[in-house]
Amino acid sequence: MADTILEIRHLSKSFGSHEVLRDIDFTVQEGDVTAIIGASGSGKSTLLRCVNLLETPTSGEILFHGRDVTGRGVNAPEYRSHVGMVFQSFNLFNNKTVLENCMVGQIKVLKRSKAEAKETALRYLQQVGMAPYINAKPRQISGGQKQRVAIARALAMGPEVLLFDEPTSALDPEMVGEVLSVMRDLAAQGMTMLVVTHEMAFARDVSTQVVYMSEGVICEQGSPAAVLGDPQKQETRDFLARFRSN
Amino acid sequence: MDLFAKLINDISRLWTKYYSFYLGGIWSTLKLAVIATVIGVLIGLVCGILNTIPCGRNDNIFKRAVLKIIRFIVRAYVEIFRGTPMVLQAVFIFYGLPYFSNGAVAFRGNSGMWLAAVLVVSINTGAYMAESVRGGIISVDPGQTEGAMAIGMTHFQTMTNVILPQAFRNIIPQIGNNFIINIKDTSVMFIIGFTEFFAFHQYIVGVNNMYFPSAAIEMVGYLTMTLVASFLLRALEKLLDGSDNYELVSEDQLVMAAGTYSHPDRGTPFDEHHKPSRETVIQQVKFGRNRGER
Repeated sequence: MADTILEIRHLSKSFGSHEVLRDIDFTVQEGDVTAIIGASGSGKSTLLRCVNLLETPTSGEILFHGRDVTGRGVNAPEYRSHVGMVFQSFNLFNNKTVLENCMVGQIKVLKRSKAEAKETALRYLQQVGMAPYINAKPRQISGGQKQRVAIARALAMGPEVLLFDEPTSALDPEMVGEVLSVMRDLAAQGMTMLVVTHEMAFARDVSTQVVYMSEGVICEQGSPAAVLGDPQKQETRDFLARFRSN
Repeated sequence: MDLFAKLINDISRLWTKYYSFYLGGIWSTLKLAVIATVIGVLIGLVCGILNTIPCGRNDNIFKRAVLKIIRFIVRAYVEIFRGTPMVLQAVFIFYGLPYFSNGAVAFRGNSGMWLAAVLVVSINTGAYMAESVRGGIISVDPGQTEGAMAIGMTHFQTMTNVILPQAFRNIIPQIGNNFIINIKDTSVMFIIGFTEFFAFHQYIVGVNNMYFPSAAIEMVGYLTMTLVASFLLRALEKLLDGSDNYELVSEDQLVMAAGTYSHPDRGTPFDEHHKPSRETVIQQVKFGRNRGER
């Protein structure tokens, strides 16, 4: 039985009177690849941002190894250093080179030595195929390359779970493949991942559980074969049908 | 033409007689402007950081109250020192402190005067810079903050490693503005007896009544200082932007990297500039850098 890394319990989030998430419940085991799918505006990204505490949940609990991280006395930066995040808009540090982007967190947050940080950074940059570009600034490389560097930056922190917030949505179609193949490799290595995505093929082939969200609630969840292959609810069927017709 | 010849003649007479005064004045002006601008920018940076500390509903009441008070103090400081003339602030501080403390705190002698002048010009610059820094911080993409927070950085680490370097680059034009204003406006420090470039003009024309020739020297002097200042600031901007090119690294870095650290930004004598980058440089020299290239 694998360890339970994350447990989301009755999570809700409102912006003012607008309720974005309602009573979200799910569990992430070690090695799980959870694909969160759903229409735009269904609260997928907000859910992911809540998990990383970039948004403060209105109510509910997020248990990380059984410890609630939404309470007051929690050291949020410390928690975030165990939970990597990859953004839709990359968010690489514009004032630093590719290599420095992957080193700064290790040096400042994990207090690693420069030599150790460089070695780790290079190892992950090599894994995502960006080792030749270590001296480039983010403005000098393409979107797909930026996203691969962002993944290496997150990996270099040695996270226990990686969150992906629509990692391929801001990319040109021909660059989507390079990022997805990096993510497939990670999944094959047993990385625990939580992926908000519109890539149904990725969800079907790579994920171990699929969560379908609609209007702030989890509409259906289960194995990819169950949710994508044999959806129980009409809403899920309609959503998937829209994707197939495109 | 005769008049010009006369002017040049007068100027050269003034210069040969008083050049040490003029140069000394320029030196004091530059020293005061540089020191006060640097301190002012530091004050501005601190105020900018204090003003942008995030504060959520999850923070305790004590932290929120402290933040509220800090923000009020910074706001009051900015409004008061931006909203009153520097010449009055100088008088207020230079004569006000001894008056109020019955002479216990006073600016005595030359060093006291320097201290007062630096103090007044710095806090004045700081008041202006506080708002510029705030603008510079706000103008940095919020995604940069999120990216830094997502790898576990604290607010302070995010600020010093990611946000401020970018904000600083964005506010260099503002720093330049303030520096040039300081070069010119330090002339009001004559009110506390501070002898800079303009004070020597007043002293010299008081002796010989050559108002216009001396003013001409002052004009050229101030313009030279400000032009050099803008040139240096442009150079600093270019330096911070870094190179437009980068070198691909083809060999396996990991073989050498274990246990060693090389400075990626410091070249070695064995580096060779390969042809494409040389060609780009030639193109840039010929046609200038294209706008929107980045």
